[in-house]
This record gives sequence, C-alpha cells and structure tokens, in this order.
Amino acid sequence: MSREAYQVPIAVPTPGRDSFQTGISVEGPAINYLCGDCNAKVPLKRGDPIRCKECGHRVLYKERTKRMVQFEAR
Amino acid sequence: MAPYQPSQAELDRRKIVGINAETVTDVTSTDYPGHYTGEDHSWDKNQFEDNFQVKMYKNEPLESSFSLIGIDAAVSNAFRRIMIAEIPSVAIEKVFVQNNTSIIQDEVLAHRLGLIPLKGGKEGLLEFLKWYEKPADGEPGFSVDNNTILLELKVECTRNETAAKGETDPLKAYHNAHVYAKDIVFKPFGSQERYFRDENTIRPTNPDILIAKLRPGQEINLEMHAIKGVGSDHAKYSPVATASYRLMPTITILKPILGKDAEKFARCFPRGVIGLETVTKKDAAKKGSGYEGHEGEVKAVVKDPMKDTVSRECLRHEEFEGKVKLGRIRDHFIFLVESVGQWDGDELFIESVKILRHKCETLKRSLTNMVR
Amino acid sequence: MPPKRKAPAAAAAAPQEDVSMADASSPAGEPEPEYDMMTDEQRIRILPGASDTAASFEFKKEDHTLGNALRYIIMKNPDVEFCGYSIPHPSEDLMNIRIQTYEGTTAVEALEKGFSDLMDLCDVVGEKFQAERARFADEMKA
Repeated sequence: MSREAYQVPIAVPTPGRDSFQTGISVEGPAINYLCGDCNAKVPLKRGDPIRCKECGHRVLYKERTKRMVQFEAR
Repeated sequence: MAPYQPSQAELDRRKIVGINAETVTDVTSTDYPGHYTGEDHSWDKNQFEDNFQVKMYKNEPLESSFSLIGIDAAVSNAFRRIMIAEIPSVAIEKVFVQNNTSIIQDEVLAHRLGLIPLKGGKEGLLEFLKWYEKPADGEPGFSVDNNTILLELKVECTRNETAAKGETDPLKAYHNAHVYAKDIVFKPFGSQERYFRDENTIRPTNPDILIAKLRPGQEINLEMHAIKGVGSDHAKYSPVATASYRLMPTITILKPILGKDAEKFARCFPRGVIGLETVTKKDAAKKGSGYEGHEGEVKAVVKDPMKDTVSRECLRHEEFEGKVKLGRIRDHFIFLVESVGQWDGDELFIESVKILRHKCETLKRSLTNMVR
Repeated sequence: MPPKRKAPAAAAAAPQEDVSMADASSPAGEPEPEYDMMTDEQRIRILPGASDTAASFEFKKEDHTLGNALRYIIMKNPDVEFCGYSIPHPSEDLMNIRIQTYEGTTAVEALEKGFSDLMDLCDVVGEKFQAERARFADEMKA
C-alpha cells in the first residue's frame, strides 16, 4: 500500500493534539518556556494561549534539557 | 675493478637543483647504484656516517631549527611526516555538557575545546599515561587514571555590581564575560596527583585562548576527558604547530655585478643575503675575473644564502641575465619544528627517528614471521 | 555528528568508578613496549604472482612515510633491479612495495636488508643529532 493512500480517521480523539484542537483543556503539569523577547519564564499548561505573560510576545522557546549531553571534541 | 670515484666538484654539482625564472631542473636524486656507469652508490653505513651532518641553529622548547645535511628527501620527509602525524600527544576527546546556555552551540564548543593545546608534567604524559582503547560501538569505554585526564569548565556570568553606571565594556560590567582556556580546571584522580602536581599540572599551553563569550545569566558547565592520540587520527593530537623543511638555497654570481647594479641586485634579496664590497686591487689584478679596471667600485657578493627565500626576483631583471645562477642543495634540509607545548622541539625530532626505527623493527619481525 | 545521549552508567562517572581498579593494579609498574598500539599483528603480505626475485609486498597501516623511505633505501641496494612503492587507493590504509632483484638474492632478502639499513640510518641520524644538540647547548652556555 502506498503511503499516500486514504486512511480512515480513528474515531477516538488521541490525547494531545486532538484534545487541544477541540478545546477540551486537560489539566497537566505546567511546562516552563522562555519568552523570545524578554527572556521571562513562562509556565504553560496544555491549552494555554502561547503568549508571554509579561510582554505579550508570541514566540516562546523550550528550556534547555537538564540532562547531560555527550559530544566528541572533533 | 674498483668503482670509479667522481671528483668532489662533480659530486657537489650533482647535488644542485637548478632554479630558473619559470622552471626547475635536476630535481630527483641520482645517487643510486646503476645510475652512473662504473660508480658505486650502494648503501654504506660508514660512508653515510662520514658524510651526514647536523647543524643546530636554534633550540628552544617551543621552537627548534636545525639542518640535516647529506640525507635523502625520502628519509627527511619521513621524519617530518612522523613529527606531524605519528608522535602522540594528549588532547580533549570527549565533552560532557551539563549546561551550556551560552550562544555557542554544544557541538561547536566541544570542537573548540578539543583544539586547545594542553601541557603538563613530561614524566606523566610520556611514561605514566597510556593509550585509551576506543570501545566498540555502543560499549562503554574503559577510563582509568593512566589513560584519561579529567578536566572541568564551570563558568557563570553575573553582573558586576561595583561597575560604574552605564559601563559599556562587558569585561568590566560583568563577571566572566569572557571564558578563557585558563578557566579549564584539571581534576586529578587515582595516582595522577603523583605525576601532575604543582608545575606539572595539566593545563592549556596558551591560557588566553578565548573559548566563549557570556552575558549575565548564561553559564557553561561541563566535564572533559583528554586522551592520548596521534595526528593521523585528528589534527588536535599533532604535537607540532608546524614541522617543515626547505632546501638550502645557493646563489652563484657568474659575472661581476658592479656599482648601482650591485645595489639593485642586493635589493632583489632579503636583507643580509647579498653583501656589498669594494673591488680590491687584488681583484682588479686578476685576469679574466671581470673586475679588471674596476678597482674601488662596489661589487655584489653572496653573504648568507640561507636567508634567501628564493623569490627569483633577480631573474626578472635584464641587467642580471647570465650573471647569476640560483639553485638549492638537494641534500641540505633546513628544518623548522614548532612545538605546541607537550614536547620540546628537539625531543620531537629524536622521537621521530625512534618511531621510524621502531616501525622498521616491528615490520622486519612481521616479515620474518610471514616467511617462516 | 549527532550528539550521543549518555547511558547513565557510562563515561562521566567512569573515571571515579575506575579509580579503585587502577589503584589496585599499579599501572606504572609493568614495563610495556613504547608503541604498543598495533600489537603483534601480521601487517605484511606478499601479493599473488610473486617469484623469488620479483615480488610485491602489501603493507597494512603504512603510507608514504615508510613507503618512500623504504623505497629509497632498497634502491640503494646494488642487487636490486627495481623498487617502487604505491598507495593503490587513498581511502584504504594500504601501501604496496614492488621489488625486483637480480639473480643471487631474493625480493624478501632485499626487503629485510632494507629494514636493517633504514634502522642503521636512523641510529646514525639519532646519534649525530644528539651530539650536535649537546655541542649547541655548550656553545649557548659559553
């Protein structure tokens, strides 16, 4: 079967993207983001508008991972 | 029949590589048996020992310069190549980033760190420290105190509260606005303290290498593993900044160059190559020298051809045509070895000789094993 | 190169972990050969089609460094009719040496003599260099 073939949509909304679109806000832990303009910490929950609470800027960045990352010095 | 022995003048002439304005001549060596009929050019250790000369010009830890005279390019090139690619040295190989909020990306930072030359106690680096065996894909490595050097870089940029208001120089307005190589801290473990204590501690050769720039709130926090490696694996392991040789230039003045021409001739070369002297009575008296009737005039003489860069500038001027011949001595190699700190310049050369010898030894054994 | 996520037990913690092991067995104690990277591995092979007086040798992990030096010293042998070296492909770590000798000796013997002669040459160069270095040091002191 080719990849482009039509696939019947699954009836049950998958948690995640679908629930966000339908507007059903599921409570979850707040994730911290960084404002692209003022660098303020912006805690967002699922369904929150993507907007800085301090300056209203609409570009937010993920925080850097807390995990250690290994590189080869080459 | 005893082999024919050519005159010293003939042997000297054969050693010259000709240099013309656009071409070179007699580039390859011809001192092989069978090249000249009746002559013996077979390898003879004693003869080589008699002819071979070393001249030292400079011998400092980070730079040494010397001449090898009476050796073939094939061998001196081997020494040069070994100094660059086969003498081991220690460099940062792995970087474990805990945090890096600077604008320089982790992988770029890691690459920069790898290229920082390190130095430290010779005994520890050369005798105590062994090769780190690269693990197979997916396997954990085996790092112990005698194959891995642990280093740390922990810097956080903060505002300088004592700085003047409106200070625009980041170095004054903030603490740690610049991260330098000297901020790298050596973390000895196991028996490393014995070899790398005090003045023997592992540290960057050049403490003022700028690694990154920070602004308040940014930090770099990482650990590094340095291991032994060779330049053929990665240039960061090369113990030399440069290891190069050039052939000794020769300048032969065939016909007198006098007066204003002599001054112009001297200006065709770097300072000190050509000297200006007055034509003496003795010179002028010599028949066929070309100096007859020129007593008291200025003449050009070759003072120090070693300083010449062989730019061939003198070959571009009509007035010198047929009066000068440029060349290089095929078996006179002027080496320049610049170390990056772990080895001394002269040690590097001695080590290269050792490595070539060791290569022959192991391969000879390998050959005997194969034939048996 | 993509960064490798580190398995929790891997390298960062490794040195500390391994300290005890290294301390237990004194590492500086046992004498080791200086360049033991390539342990007794057969690195020479005679290529097919060889006769006694004419053979091509394939060297693993060698390049122009040894190739040209060895070619030179073998060409200095009057019993050798021809010697040349090549690196058949730049991305393979191989170097070939071709030796053809006159009757009375063999290619293998010529190669062996080449190694010995090159070692002698290294000895002379090393000694002369050290002597000159000592002389130069005295001159600088004076």
